[in-house]
Amino acid sequence: MLVLAVMASLTAYSQEKITVKGSDTMVILAQKWAELYMKTNPSASIQVTGGGSGIGITALINGTTDICNASRPMKQTEIEKLKARYNTLGVEIPCAKDGVTIFLNETNKVSELTLQQLSGIYTGKIRNWKEVGGNDAEIRLYGRENSSGTYTYFHDEVVKADYAANTQSLPGTAAVVNAVKKDVNGIGYGGAAYAVGVKNAKVKKDSNSTAYLPTKESIGKGAYPITRFLYMYLRNRPTGETKKYIDWILSAEGQMVVTEVGYFPVK
Amino acid sequence: MKKLLAIGIFTLISVYGFSQTQKPDSLKDVIEKHEGKLNALDDRVLVNEADLSKLNKIKVSGYIQSQWESYGADLEKSNGYNNTFYIRRARIKFTYEALDGVKFVLQPDFSTGNISLKDAYAVVNIPKLKNWTLWAGQMNRPDYEVEYSSSQREVLERSRVIRTIYPGEREVGVKLEYAGTKIPLKFQLMAMNGNFTGAQAKDVDSQKDIMARLVYSVKLPGAGIGIDFGPNVYYGGNLSKNNKYFKNSDGTLDSLKSVWKYLNKNWVGGEIQIFADVLGGMAIKGEYITGINSSLSSVAATSTMAQMLASPSLYNNFSGYYIYFIKNIGPKNQFVAKYDYYDPNTKLSGDAAGNNIYYKTWTLAWQYYLNDFIRISLNYEMPKNEINASNPTDKKDNTLGVRIQAKF
Repeated sequence: MLVLAVMASLTAYSQEKITVKGSDTMVILAQKWAELYMKTNPSASIQVTGGGSGIGITALINGTTDICNASRPMKQTEIEKLKARYNTLGVEIPCAKDGVTIFLNETNKVSELTLQQLSGIYTGKIRNWKEVGGNDAEIRLYGRENSSGTYTYFHDEVVKADYAANTQSLPGTAAVVNAVKKDVNGIGYGGAAYAVGVKNAKVKKDSNSTAYLPTKESIGKGAYPITRFLYMYLRNRPTGETKKYIDWILSAEGQMVVTEVGYFPVK
Repeated sequence: MKKLLAIGIFTLISVYGFSQTQKPDSLKDVIEKHEGKLNALDDRVLVNEADLSKLNKIKVSGYIQSQWESYGADLEKSNGYNNTFYIRRARIKFTYEALDGVKFVLQPDFSTGNISLKDAYAVVNIPKLKNWTLWAGQMNRPDYEVEYSSSQREVLERSRVIRTIYPGEREVGVKLEYAGTKIPLKFQLMAMNGNFTGAQAKDVDSQKDIMARLVYSVKLPGAGIGIDFGPNVYYGGNLSKNNKYFKNSDGTLDSLKSVWKYLNKNWVGGEIQIFADVLGGMAIKGEYITGINSSLSSVAATSTMAQMLASPSLYNNFSGYYIYFIKNIGPKNQFVAKYDYYDPNTKLSGDAAGNNIYYKTWTLAWQYYLNDFIRISLNYEMPKNEINASNPTDKKDNTLGVRIQAKF
């Protein structure tokens, strides 16, 4: 018994625990990575939690996570906090690509939108579907909470102003998809991997451009207008088990998981 | 009794009969009823959410620095004590983001016997000029060590040169700032009253002082290195209202020809911060500033010529710099060595300098981050002054400080 106890404690000691926190968009991907990696590396222990990119970045700055997942780049103010506390700039690792997908109810007549129309819809300037070629019905807006990287990314790259006050903030892209699925006049946005049971709108830069769906091809060649990287952030350059884990994520095997989950490989 | 029994039985029968004739609600009715309730709840949640989102726009942060200091013999003589507990800073910062790109900041300081307003400004994103912001109110002067928050600084106090030329750190004025996202450049241009020490509400003269700072950032991600560097400049003046005479930095007497003319207050500087990921974080930060500073004569308007000549305004060529070496040791500890130099009058040295002597100060510090909120600092400051007839020995003014900072 004593020998077993000693062995158990030694095993526990030899396990290097890696904590991963942040983006809800990435949580399904991060969980899948962790699950597969731990299968082939039983000595590794990886704990994944979501909460949003903002929460993950704060945890990275406060030292309560080893890896932060973020669906947006770190802001300069956040880098300054990292510099002040750890005297490093942080390490940014793009680990997947995503096309921020515009979810519509399957019955919606609208099939494509320009960036300007999306901005108009989410700022509340466009309130009725008929203004963008749809039925005469009020547009119901679904979005993410402000701790979400997708919220920030969509705000900075598409909306570029305050979100309309009637945008319903939901915790996670799955909730957004679910809401749009049930609401014939609903619209939402989020990571491509979650688009099940809804219609994806084609997006074009302006009225003269070609409209694209977020596909491997359109994202690969950068044609889909709301293409973004998904990132992992660390305080310092990775070493030991963390480095092994990140190298595996960036390997062909790790990138295959990206495709399986519904995102797009980084290379 | 029989009557009562009959009434009882009748009542029971009628209740039973009534309940039997009541048709149960259909499933549809029940769903509709609950749907109505849910919709009402949904509306209430939406109203609450809207209220909460207003509250989300207000951010409250702050910190308390409680410390103990022990002083050298010469400081004991001037202070009357050789050690003390005190509250160095106790600040609450309120930030209200009214709209996207419109922010108000208010920060009072509540340290004992010194309740004062530190920050009170509004920041507005300039429409159609991405990355440009306009600041108005009372705020930090645009300088690295000034803007670097006391809650983050690795030593207890700022460098002597910064404390001298930017007393109180803040100024009242307007600032234009560009913070590039694609281009790693930061530019700040501030017009301010000048001479602000935290007390006067309005300017004391008509001329506004101007300050500009440019910082360019270079990143070498492969090597884990980041370098920020750039110049800064200050252009201002002091209005000499009562005395046209001034003494140059070399001690020669000069004249402005008449009163109500400005004495220059001009300097230039350069800063660099190097961050390197070498077995954990490491930083080397420095700044050099040189120029001419002026201080006004204290004579009254009714003074005689002799009195004016006896106490003229002063022009002082000065220079100063600081350099920090900071090394993070694991996630919770940090070692700091700092050297700073300040010479208030570079034209005179030795006995001729009188009390305008230079100071070279070494500071050694250790930070321990107990958790996200608490930092404990051990700090030992060792100033070494210039020796001359007025200051025949190195003053015993070393200071040992222990600070506990609680930040939220």
